[in-house]
Amino acid sequence: MSKESRMRATVNQKLAEMGERERLKELLRAKLTECGWKDQMKAHCKEVIKEKGLEHVTVEDLVVEITPKGRALVPDSVKKELLHRIRAFLAQHAT
Amino acid sequence: MKMEDMPLSGPDNTRLEALVHDIYSELVDDACLGLCFEVHRAVKQGYFFLDETDQESMKEFEIVDQPGVDIFGQVYNQWKNKECECPNCKRLIAASRFAPHLEKCLGMGRNSSRIANRRLASNNNMSKSESDQEDNDDLNDNDWSYGAEKKAKKRKSDKSQNSPRRSKSIKHKNGDLGSGVSTEPYKYNYNTGISYETLGPDEVRSLLTTQCGVISEHTKKMCTRSPRCPQHSDEQRRAVRVFLLGPSAPSLPDPDAVVESESFDIPDGQTLMSRLQWEDSPDISPTDSASSKASTNHSDSKRPKKKKRTSLGLNRGLGGGVSLTGGGGGGSSSSSQSNISLSIKKKRPKLSAPSISSIYDDLN
Repeated sequence: MSKESRMRATVNQKLAEMGERERLKELLRAKLTECGWKDQMKAHCKEVIKEKGLEHVTVEDLVVEITPKGRALVPDSVKKELLHRIRAFLAQHAT
Repeated sequence: MKMEDMPLSGPDNTRLEALVHDIYSELVDDACLGLCFEVHRAVKQGYFFLDETDQESMKEFEIVDQPGVDIFGQVYNQWKNKECECPNCKRLIAASRFAPHLEKCLGMGRNSSRIANRRLASNNNMSKSESDQEDNDDLNDNDWSYGAEKKAKKRKSDKSQNSPRRSKSIKHKNGDLGSGVSTEPYKYNYNTGISYETLGPDEVRSLLTTQCGVISEHTKKMCTRSPRCPQHSDEQRRAVRVFLLGPSAPSLPDPDAVVESESFDIPDGQTLMSRLQWEDSPDISPTDSASSKASTNHSDSKRPKKKKRTSLGLNRGLGGGVSLTGGGGGGSSSSSQSNISLSIKKKRPKLSAPSISSIYDDLN
């Protein structure tokens, strides 16, 4: 198993070193904004805040509320594209 | 994407897939976290709810999602059917055509002076009829108002009749006539036929040598098709010739004779008529005076297109060709011939000579 974790570490390192990680991040953000995911999530945030009260909302509150919904609401096309790109990167640079 | 050989085998593949998914999940979590931070900062800084106002205004500016309407709730074609009154010509113009119409109506646009000049030039060339600036604007505008459309349609047909192009298209219609010029003198009439009442006997005669000439019952016009046109029989043609030219009317012209008429102006024909005495058997002397007037008229009249030959030139050409009847009627027949010569092409005088001689034998 440590082999695997070593492999993962290597992959992550490679991702970061080559700037691929940043690129993938930007790509994901752009795609999510484009498809309206961000506006959807913001609307959800508004509800949460109104619920919790404007003054007392914390980051943790938001994270707990937002993340599971956010993961679920990502459109399939965006997910597919990202997976494809990650696989391609790995295929190119795998050990 | 090119797939290189996977360095890992089967079970490792699933591990690879898992890895891929893990990386993906990390990225998504990053995005969510980023959003949370952004929102939290906005809340704490107090600008998160800035884009919200009271409920009423919110309802007012809500995005509209109905068919036939844009997101602001405005109808797309709303002003298409409205009509505005032009302050210049006082007509009702459709809204979408209003600006171009004004441009022409006031004479202030880029194209309006160009169009006006062009129209003036063509009008000077053709008729004496005055062209009303406004009315011709209507033609160019294709305005939508109902009344203007009717007017425009009617004027358009008038205008297109006078255009140079038209004679070319009529050329084909008249079959084996030599050129499109033959229809030019009749350009003010509809191209289906000619009104025999407005023509003098010489014109009628020349017409009948080139055309079928049978008078239609419905329109009272002469048929402009070839003398062999299938619509009318020879009997009918003969009857028309008798009717128009008297009992001693000539026989039908040789179909092989290619004839061509000069461009007569209808106003000249009408003045001819007033000077003529129309009798059943035309005498020589009125014919003489008519012919001389005809020739002078021809030299006076404007020739807008192509043929620059004067009547004199033709006389000379024909005089040389038709020597058969030279001795016949003497001076009178030669001057009568000069009239006919205007209608007969220079190139084939021999073929038409026998018919001419037969015409004048009868008269003489």
